[in-house]
Amino acid sequence: MHRALRVVHNFWDILVYILNLFILTIIIKIMEDKKLTQSESLELITKMIKETKNNLERDGGSIYLLWGYVWLFASLAIYFLLRETGDHRVQWLWFAIPAVGYPSMIYLLKKRDKGAVSFAGRIIGKIWIVTGVAAGLLSLYMFIDYNAFPMLFTMALLINTGVAMSGLIIKFKPIIASGFLGILLSFALLMVSGLNQILIFSLFAVIMLIIPGHILNAASRNIKKA
Amino acid sequence: MFKDLDPLLHSQLRLAVVSILITAEEADFVYLREKTGSTAGNLSVQIDKLSEAGYIEVDKGYSGKRPKTTCRLTPQGRKAFEDYIEALKSYF
Repeated sequence: MHRALRVVHNFWDILVYILNLFILTIIIKIMEDKKLTQSESLELITKMIKETKNNLERDGGSIYLLWGYVWLFASLAIYFLLRETGDHRVQWLWFAIPAVGYPSMIYLLKKRDKGAVSFAGRIIGKIWIVTGVAAGLLSLYMFIDYNAFPMLFTMALLINTGVAMSGLIIKFKPIIASGFLGILLSFALLMVSGLNQILIFSLFAVIMLIIPGHILNAASRNIKKA
Repeated sequence: MFKDLDPLLHSQLRLAVVSILITAEEADFVYLREKTGSTAGNLSVQIDKLSEAGYIEVDKGYSGKRPKTTCRLTPQGRKAFEDYIEALKSYF
């Protein structure tokens, strides 16, 4: 009886030993990651850098579209309402752009939180924070002196500068072209007056935000498909 | 003359993580797992190894109520990666 118990004990010990060996093999397998050849290394580095760069830097189309459409609809609404009513209190509607734009942008940014931040992405974010603060202060100054400076020209120049800088940072030609074209066309706002100024201003939304936004989204979709 | 490749970087998952962190200033665990296509367990082990070597910094915090592990490359890790690339060049 005693001997039989010892055999069972030994058998049990062997079983536990085999089981431990098995678990240890799995752990070692997990801990020892796959080794690479030199060319596989190079391929992996290139792939990861390229994917991360494209994924993080060229995926901001929806933000451009948000501001573009809010800007377009607000300025067209102001244009038509002013033309029809002649009531300048309609100009208060300009404040609808930040009132709608900022909360929607915060929502979009939270929704598309990728879990990673690139250097270029962070810099572009800072550029737009500074541009946004400057644009906000310019708008607020209108309460102090409505005629202090040509508002639409100043605003268009400021925002187009932000667009051109963003394009240069992500090295995306459509955005660079839109930004510089916008900077150039901003001066047209100094050459016209009255209602036409608002109409040109609404055109800026299409040139520097809506068209590049759609191109950026299309490029981003192509990268994801590839 | 072939140079020695840093054994810590010369493995698929660790090299993938460091390559991502070279471009992204910081990346969270979920992002790294998705981009490398690894399992959570394996990634966790490799991140620990890189962290122990001083190549990456790991912050364990929260995003809202969810736990969030964020990784970023240290200057030492960047230097190791640059050296690795230099060593790799000698093979081609």
